Amino acid sequence: MTKNANQWQQLPKFPTSHFVDSRIYTDEQIFHEEREKIFNKCWIIACHESEIPNAYDYRTFRHPGGTNLIVVRGEDMKVRSFYNICPHRGNTLLYDPVGNAKRITCIFHAWSFDTKGNCVDITREKEGFQNRFCKADAGLREVRTEIGFGGFVWVNTDDNACTLKEYIGSALDMLVPCMEEELEVFHYHKAIVNTNYKLWHDTNSEFYHDYMHYFNRVTGMLQPGYFDRKYVGYPNGHASVGSMTIKYDAYEGSKERGVGWPNLSPGGWILIDIFPGMTYNLRTSVLRMDTSIPLGPDKLIIEFRGLGLKRDTPQERMQRIFDHNTIWGPFGRNLHEDLLGVHGQGRAMNRLSDQTWVIHGREENMTIHDEGGMRHFYAEWSRRMGRKAYDPYGEKLISAAA
Amino acid sequence: MDRVAIEELVYQSCLLLDDKDFKGYLDLCAPEFRYTITAHSPEIRKDMIWLDHDRNGMQTLFTQLPRHNSDHSPLTRHATVYKVQCDEAQQQANVVSALQVFKTNLDGGATELFAVGRYLDTFKLNGGKPLLAKRVVKLDTRMFGFGYHIPF
Ligand code: FES
Ligand SMILES: [Fe+2]
Repeated sequence: MTKNANQWQQLPKFPTSHFVDSRIYTDEQIFHEEREKIFNKCWIIACHESEIPNAYDYRTFRHPGGTNLIVVRGEDMKVRSFYNICPHRGNTLLYDPVGNAKRITCIFHAWSFDTKGNCVDITREKEGFQNRFCKADAGLREVRTEIGFGGFVWVNTDDNACTLKEYIGSALDMLVPCMEEELEVFHYHKAIVNTNYKLWHDTNSEFYHDYMHYFNRVTGMLQPGYFDRKYVGYPNGHASVGSMTIKYDAYEGSKERGVGWPNLSPGGWILIDIFPGMTYNLRTSVLRMDTSIPLGPDKLIIEFRGLGLKRDTPQERMQRIFDHNTIWGPFGRNLHEDLLGVHGQGRAMNRLSDQTWVIHGREENMTIHDEGGMRHFYAEWSRRMGRKAYDPYGEKLISAAA
Repeated sequence: MDRVAIEELVYQSCLLLDDKDFKGYLDLCAPEFRYTITAHSPEIRKDMIWLDHDRNGMQTLFTQLPRHNSDHSPLTRHATVYKVQCDEAQQQANVVSALQVFKTNLDGGATELFAVGRYLDTFKLNGGKPLLAKRVVKLDTRMFGFGYHIPF
């Protein structure tokens, strides 16, 4: 039976935790608040330590809260982060995505900074500023930085935030034994998609969409144990999905998976979503890391990384790269489908489109096709935003039935 | 060596892939054919391999295409052969071509530049009937929006 305009607007027959209002994906004001209340409050992955192995190595990062950062390894090998903004006339300090700089010198008027963020030279300082302003007044804005959970470099623009350890809690416990050895990034690419960042995180938080992926549908879903995998929610909006064994050699084009991963059962799979937009995805021989950088409510950069072990032999690395590319590479079979999915959502639920309810209503004892992972995310989102995901403008009179 | 025959083979490979004539494409390839897509990431300072298949691997990839959900916008591959280097003793030619790939949206037909890069090809001369033995697609472009399933 179809619906008329009135019926389309009616609240779904679910508890209010089980659906959201599509306007949370398109509203400029909500996006502005998300930057302030979520992205500029939470710990965010900027890069991996293997990308800046040597003293003075730096990496620039477009922080999802809005400000561009520099992540730099000092002479003391400590990694620090700063706003990539010159305290003189606001120029970008480092233009390249990566490099090595003993001194960070602004191209504009040649003010110079060390890797601890101290200003070490102001050109013609005395002549222009006399005693009114000096190098000590021109330090860079430092941003809290910690390395952890697989050697990722995490930043937090909120000086008063809890520690990274507190933020993660026990959410990554399942993966910690698999990340004891040093990791190394071997794959990096970005995609820009016209969609909301939450929709990408949702896709990473539900496996029901295995129906979209041919091989997951015809092989993965038929594996014993597939429906036993469970979602677990953790404080701060993180969620994990437990391991299962995938029989890769059951279908054509996939060789025997020989390389494996330390402390992961052969063919195992662990996926952990970290609020608000990061996903650890460890499958068989590769760790994939997705990080989201929203550019607006309907525009998103996703950074994709593939990681192996630093100690890999060339043969082992080649196998990991092969495993990665077949499924998750830019020409891999699943990535394009996952991106098409969220592209389609962004297109359907666009800024000008009629409001829609997005249903997260599946309950299967929190097993793999349960939509509890997404519900867990939106509970945290609502808490941080002070807005209800199902009623972001407080316009619905939700009855006691909810 | 017949330079024209080799150039035509490069162009033929583009046309066949544009037309999704995968059998025709593989007919241009030697049994030892190897296809690789590479890109350099300045961000992580590493050369990356994005796809690496032998002839069977390519065959499998092509066979599986209809089973996937994909963007159906057609691609137009445009190659220009820049350099043909012949090794008569080895009976092979190394060929460098510039590559541009355009994507034409199904709805409305707007065309966008999708990718630029190079074909680094090795042809077996094969006594007058050259065959493609190795193709490295060295991409400059690393951003493909929501992506694509068919390689270049
Ligand atoms: S803006 Fe950087 S030195 Fe003037
Ligand atoms: Fe997927």
